[in-house]
Amino acid sequence: MFTSSRYEWISLLRDKWVVALVIIFFSITFFAVRNGHEKVQERTQSIEEVKTATAQAEKKYTNDIDSLSRGLKSAPEPWLDPRSLSVYGQRAGRVVAMDAEPLALIATGQSDLYTHTVKPKLYGEANALGFSELSNPVQLMFGTFDLAFVCIYLLPLLVLAFSYNLLSADKESGVLRLTVSQPVSMYQWLFNKLLVRFVVLALIIILSILISLLMFGVPVEVGVMKLLVLVLIYTLFWFAVAFLINLFGASSGNNAIALVSVWVVLVLLIPAFISQSANTLYPVPSRINMIHQYRVAEAESNKKASELLDGYLRDHPELASQDSTQKNQYSFWLKYFASVEVIQAAVKPVVSEYDAALEEQQHWVNQWRVLSPAVLMQNSLNELAGTSTGHYQNFRKQVLVFSEAWRSYFTPRMFKNERMQPEDIANLPQPGYSATQVTTHYTTDLIGLFVFVAVALGGSVLAYRRFVHTGLVIA
Amino acid sequence: MILKIALKELKELFREGRFRIAAVIVFALLITSFLVSKRYYDYVNEQHEAARKNARNEWTGQGEKNPHSAAHYGTYAFKPKYPLALIDNGVDKYSGVSIFLEAHKRSDAQYMAAQDQTALSRFGDLTPDFVLVFLIPLLIILLGFNAMSRERESGTLRLLLSQGVKPITLVAGKWLGLFLPIVLLVLPVFVLAAFLLAGVSNFGQFSMAAFTILFVVYLLYYAVFTNLTLLVSALVKKSSLAFVALLSVWIISCLAMPKVTSAIAEELYPYPTQSEFETQIAADKKNGLDGHDPWNAASKKLEAETLAKYGVDNVSQLPFNWDGYLMQQGEEHDAEIYFKHYNLLKETYENQTRVYRTTAALSPFLPTRFLSMAICRTDYAAHWNFADAAERYRIMLVGKMNGDMVDNSKTGDWDYLANEKLWESVPDFEYQPPAYAAVFAANQSNFATLLVWLLVSFAALYVAVSKIKVI
Repeated sequence: MFTSSRYEWISLLRDKWVVALVIIFFSITFFAVRNGHEKVQERTQSIEEVKTATAQAEKKYTNDIDSLSRGLKSAPEPWLDPRSLSVYGQRAGRVVAMDAEPLALIATGQSDLYTHTVKPKLYGEANALGFSELSNPVQLMFGTFDLAFVCIYLLPLLVLAFSYNLLSADKESGVLRLTVSQPVSMYQWLFNKLLVRFVVLALIIILSILISLLMFGVPVEVGVMKLLVLVLIYTLFWFAVAFLINLFGASSGNNAIALVSVWVVLVLLIPAFISQSANTLYPVPSRINMIHQYRVAEAESNKKASELLDGYLRDHPELASQDSTQKNQYSFWLKYFASVEVIQAAVKPVVSEYDAALEEQQHWVNQWRVLSPAVLMQNSLNELAGTSTGHYQNFRKQVLVFSEAWRSYFTPRMFKNERMQPEDIANLPQPGYSATQVTTHYTTDLIGLFVFVAVALGGSVLAYRRFVHTGLVIA
Repeated sequence: MILKIALKELKELFREGRFRIAAVIVFALLITSFLVSKRYYDYVNEQHEAARKNARNEWTGQGEKNPHSAAHYGTYAFKPKYPLALIDNGVDKYSGVSIFLEAHKRSDAQYMAAQDQTALSRFGDLTPDFVLVFLIPLLIILLGFNAMSRERESGTLRLLLSQGVKPITLVAGKWLGLFLPIVLLVLPVFVLAAFLLAGVSNFGQFSMAAFTILFVVYLLYYAVFTNLTLLVSALVKKSSLAFVALLSVWIISCLAMPKVTSAIAEELYPYPTQSEFETQIAADKKNGLDGHDPWNAASKKLEAETLAKYGVDNVSQLPFNWDGYLMQQGEEHDAEIYFKHYNLLKETYENQTRVYRTTAALSPFLPTRFLSMAICRTDYAAHWNFADAAERYRIMLVGKMNGDMVDNSKTGDWDYLANEKLWESVPDFEYQPPAYAAVFAANQSNFATLLVWLLVSFAALYVAVSKIKVI
């Protein structure tokens, strides 16, 4: 057994395919990681710019409030005075930023669809907050050449090109007859062939990915290990499929066709089917209908704005100004808040339908993702990169929480007709984002991939009994 | 002789399980994807019609209001979906469907479908274009990779040539034997589509000519792949190697090149991020005229000039509403800023498009993809055209509102109310897509690239075949 694998090693290493494979895989991995790195850099830079601009504005407002309250400066027009709560709350908004995870460069995921900085303000409804990123839709359609693409799409095809003739080439050249005349188990011999090829490719994959990641300054931590395990199991699955198909004993050409067909089904068709069925079964209600509902509610509330404020104060007696004789300087905005509350309440059922539909879609996809190793891979790679749908939904939730906190800081004080004081700035709500709340599915995805490997290997045992034992393969 | 060979190839193909299975699967996929798209299309159209009516009713029924408040209330423009979007949904999933039209602000299209779907949708959708541009070339490769090498391997090539059959005749027969089944597979789907589409007449007339050109574009694309398949099959002696080589061709042109090109385009001509774009616009606006801030330096200057022009010393003595006039001036100034920045964005997009067109020389997939989207009116250019039309409508709408205020009310009279007569005087937003002549003119280079691919691959096949020797 050892002799046979030793010769396998020697013949494989002498093969120019291995050299070609090293060059091809390293260059595409490097290119992919570089692309991911470019994207992450752009993202980080944009976040930095926004943060700097926000910090500058904050500093300017702090200084202005300080000098105004000490009478060092003459007061500006009321709608520009930063001591006014409405001016400060609107113009000195804080930014919630979704910083890139260390492994963000491995998978673009959904990061090209969404913005990573949102600046909630005092006015403007939560639904009006923009979460879209500006990009050329052609690029969104074509997708990024990132490490996830290399692993999910290209790697199986490389495995396939590397092993479609594992058995058939020996059969076609007559070596097989020679081999079976030796006192070795056929299955063992074939398995060795598979294993040797897998080990060679695994080494190439590990080194290519590690070197590329290190070159772009990604520290080798748990995440990288998780990534490598995932990629190796996925590769092993494709070897197992190649092994299984080889055992059927068809010609090299037919093996290649069969393998490509498996690839088309698992990587192209099943994901499209699952996604299509999710959209069909749980369609997100029409967005343009939501606009309509929203506008109807808006028009309604505008018509009776002053009644709304009374109603609002009845609901929130704690907000009613202590001194009712004094005209509130924010009365215009208070009416506005009252109407926003009514509009929000009116559209809430519609808005929650969207979240519900998307959650149901995600649930459906999570359930059926076990049908394709490619989907399992995509899911876990996006989660490792922090660019999954879940991450962006979570970011959105955290932004809304902060938006609410920001507004809740100002509204009660506006009802009391107060002004910003220098000491208030330290008490303002601080934005924050943390990715730790997102539930990830790494373990289940890995188990799923193992099941795929087991199924393919189990199939190969059956195929071996059926075809090789009966001599069909050799004949 | 050519026909005889073709006929023999066809017979052989139809007898073979490989073709039957593949053909049934591809045909079923095409029909399923078409029906799924049809359902989606009908749904979208229904929504669109309703939304248009609602938007108009909301606008005309908004009651008595100050015209400028009405401009703030604004209205919506909805992007129509044209019948051919059924075949190729293009970038529609990644571009928004509605644009809010209000005073002072140009908005981007909102609500892209991709954001309302899971990350899985990034794998691609089960739409006809997915089958037409990705799977059928793969099918051509699967069916034809051993067309020539098979004859060589089994020794029949020697036999055939010794019988006096010219290699070129043989290849011509093989070519027909590979290309015709593909036509037979695609034609019924297109005919069915033509019947169904001709029946769709909600909006956006269905153009039979455009549909035929679309069909021809796909046939050219398949002809290129047929040529490449036979070329490799003639050059590479072993069938299995020929297959691996052809598979690489498919991976590079259909999977890798679009992504590689995107990376190059973004590297050379990067798009600004949303926040960068907004910051640039805000910076320009800040330095300019503010229609809502009469104390702004630029507004002060305009005031002095206007007073001098009319020879009065106070804005209330002007024969028109100064507030409205100032706001309209501010509006026009803002519109110019938007125009400038959106044009810069458009320049970036056009530069990126040029990159795609240049690299199309390396992949027959790219010109086909872009032509298909352009003919189906689902490419990025179509989206820009719509967004620009919406912006022109917005400027007109806001101008009319401010104009009414200028002419019919006095300076400082913010209680002035207009009614539905004014709202109704604003025409409804009717979007006319560019004529096909313009679409084709804009896509000349894509047509040219595809034709060059066809001619070069034919020439290469001819040269390779005439050098065939039997050893």
